[in-house]
Amino acid sequence: MRIASRGIPLLVACLALAYPWLVPNYYLVYAGALTVMYAAMSTSWNLLGGFTGYVSLGHSAFFGLGAYGTGLLIVRLGVPWVAALLVSAVAVTAFAVFVGVAAVRVRGASFVIVSIALVSMMNLVVQGWRSLTGGSTGLQVPSPFPDLHRGQTHIVFFYLFLALLGLALLSWWYVSRSRFGAGLRAIREDEDKAESLGVPTGAYKVTAFALSALFVSLAGGLYAVWFGSLDPIFVFSILIGSYMVLMSLLGGVRHLFGPLLGALIVAPAGEYFLIALGETQIHLTATGLLLVLVVLFMPDGILARLTRRRAGPSIPDETAEQRLQGAAR
Amino acid sequence: MVSLLLQGLALGVLTGGLYALLASGLSLYFGVMRVVMVAHPAFLFLAAYLTYTVHTTFGVDPFLALPVTVPLFFALGVAVQRLLVARLAPDNLAMMSVLLTFGIALAIEGLLGTIYTGSYKSVSMEYATKSLTIGGVHLPYDKIIAFFVAALTLAVLFAVLVRSRFGQALRATIQHREAARLVGVQTERVAGYGFGVGLATAAVGGTVLALITPFFPASHWVWIGKLMAIIVVGGLGSVIGAALAAVLLGVVEGLVLVTVDATWATMMFYVFLFLTLLARPQGFFGGRLAHRF
Amino acid sequence: MTSLRTEGLTKSFGGVLAVDGASVELQEGRINGLIGPNGSGKTTFFNIVTGMIKPDSGRVLYRDRDITRHSPHRIAHAGIGRTFQLCRVFPRLTVLENMLVAVRRTRLRELLAGLRDQGEVERARHWLRRMGIEHLEDAEARDLSYGQQKLLELAAVLMAEPELVLLDEPAGGVNPALIDRIVSLVRDLNAEGRTFLVVEHNMDMVMGMCDHVIVFDRGAPIAAGPPAEVRDDPRVLEAYLGV
Repeated sequence: MRIASRGIPLLVACLALAYPWLVPNYYLVYAGALTVMYAAMSTSWNLLGGFTGYVSLGHSAFFGLGAYGTGLLIVRLGVPWVAALLVSAVAVTAFAVFVGVAAVRVRGASFVIVSIALVSMMNLVVQGWRSLTGGSTGLQVPSPFPDLHRGQTHIVFFYLFLALLGLALLSWWYVSRSRFGAGLRAIREDEDKAESLGVPTGAYKVTAFALSALFVSLAGGLYAVWFGSLDPIFVFSILIGSYMVLMSLLGGVRHLFGPLLGALIVAPAGEYFLIALGETQIHLTATGLLLVLVVLFMPDGILARLTRRRAGPSIPDETAEQRLQGAAR
Repeated sequence: MVSLLLQGLALGVLTGGLYALLASGLSLYFGVMRVVMVAHPAFLFLAAYLTYTVHTTFGVDPFLALPVTVPLFFALGVAVQRLLVARLAPDNLAMMSVLLTFGIALAIEGLLGTIYTGSYKSVSMEYATKSLTIGGVHLPYDKIIAFFVAALTLAVLFAVLVRSRFGQALRATIQHREAARLVGVQTERVAGYGFGVGLATAAVGGTVLALITPFFPASHWVWIGKLMAIIVVGGLGSVIGAALAAVLLGVVEGLVLVTVDATWATMMFYVFLFLTLLARPQGFFGGRLAHRF
Repeated sequence: MTSLRTEGLTKSFGGVLAVDGASVELQEGRINGLIGPNGSGKTTFFNIVTGMIKPDSGRVLYRDRDITRHSPHRIAHAGIGRTFQLCRVFPRLTVLENMLVAVRRTRLRELLAGLRDQGEVERARHWLRRMGIEHLEDAEARDLSYGQQKLLELAAVLMAEPELVLLDEPAGGVNPALIDRIVSLVRDLNAEGRTFLVVEHNMDMVMGMCDHVIVFDRGAPIAAGPPAEVRDDPRVLEAYLGV
């Protein structure tokens, strides 16, 4: 298992780096970039969901805000795209802190509800504020690489999203090995008990919340300059948020590569359905049904199944005499 | 100005009554099963679309669809609870139920969008388009009807909960499942029927909605936000709390609608939601089950 | 020096008055016992002292600092640790991970940047050795026996380096050999300078271990003093036997 657990990620990484040169056409590069984008967002989402157990169905709010923040800075204020991307991400993260302070005052399903309310609210604001967001025609964002044609842009953004995925994975890995991560996991297991041991649960939760928003907003910003055309209905759609949840759940929320695995399965499938079934809404039904199935039959995800510990007692076998000798020590 | 405010107030009370009906169903699911039924508004619009189909196919008054839709939705509710919700591990029930019902809501939206396309649909009846005018205040007939239907249904619901044996069993299951079992209440069955009752109220609500507002497949998301805001403000698990909060927020919405604009009117739900979270997360009008779920 | 002092703590839940004007004073360095019939408000008292519930009225002072409205984690940092009546550990974390959760101070560097440093791990192992469960380091907490979980719970609390330790029924559901071990542990830890407040129903344990005993009945203390005195107090007999 050791060799597999080291070798497989390495193999996947190599394949990923070579991917644009391995596929026959630019459409597949586009699909690959989209998949990597979702993988980065799901891993980011999992910084909150996987560690603390707080499930947010509203993370698409941060995607949309990151996209519009970056787009508006470029279009209205002429800010160069990299700076716009970073400034927008910082602003959205600050907003996430503000929202998080209120949101984490409730737990479990209440929190999920509040997250849904958040994205509904964003939807409302964005559709109402036509002058800023460009209304139904959306916002047009000029490409940062005007000399490249469409296909080459896809390649560039494939690597940009890959870098973002790398950052997200690194963060997740770092948190999982830190005292902070141990505290977050304790919050998931027994929040009140964690607090009685001195863990500042409120601050920890807000931090995880903000961190999870950061990479999602960066993804939104990259999406804005990649696609060039922002439609408020899409970027704030609750579907993006539900993909993040579905992918993480499917792959396994307690694992570093869980969301990535989920994205590798769901994103291409989603693209396939979109093409095979056309522009109808049936892909919503497919996503919904898949979510139902995962929740009912595989709530721990695929990776949990694969890495299940050997069942059996971890308490050593000993005779009564040995036991008593131990107690007398 | 005063007449404008009165207008807003009147409209608010009328819609508040409808909100109260819709939100009470939600409180019921939570109380009975600790399930947050995010799909409730989706079922509302499923009912609205069914009403639309009945109306356009047979040309009948939408309320005549109720004898069909109510039992149908009751059965659907029982089925959903027994076949899906009951299979959830009690471990993480509240959260898993949100994800489960969220999936159901998506599935319903997809089906509606595929069958009916994304364009707005509505049901309009001759008698519903007129208004009653009292002292300078215009009360549209459709909203008056909505209010009375909602009030009647709520009254029936309360009567069932308080007077009937089934209602008693339901309330016992809500308060203490184990104790209810010990006195012989078949809690699994009761939970299923409770769910059925919840969806039956959605059938009524959906028919009413079809009458008063145009709708499209994604309409339910706005309602999830509004209804969730109502039950958080009212206090989770409290049916009365939800009703009170519903009327309060309906009035606020009405007043803001006539003085500012529609977007801000809807925003008020979210403003109240966040204020409640900051000031009193367990809600204002009762609900002992709040916050710790 | 006074360790913990409460003044007139009152708390009701709905119509039930759980704690009714509880005023208690504990001296540092002693092993204090808290006894009383079921429902006399002992655990609620603990919950108020540790900040998990806010009282309707009254104050809690620890080393002369008012900690009544403080959040549970601030109270933990102040130096109060506590175990629970129904032993609470983090079920899906390993024994070692359970030990590494406790936070002593809210210093940014220590919290956010800290990888699991060897110093902390060594400290954790030291406590696990003292409890006799060091061989279970990698086991998931939910796989431990109840007695082992109780020892783990206590060890994890001690990682936060509390000065005052509240134990809620440490002998509950545990075999006699383990009770003896717990008693000797408490005595050793007390000799090292920690103050204890122990809620217990096991009279032998309380009388044998404690320097000072407080008796609760219906939400308030009715007697307090050395074990022998309290045991013969007619009011105590009345409270327990209802005579």
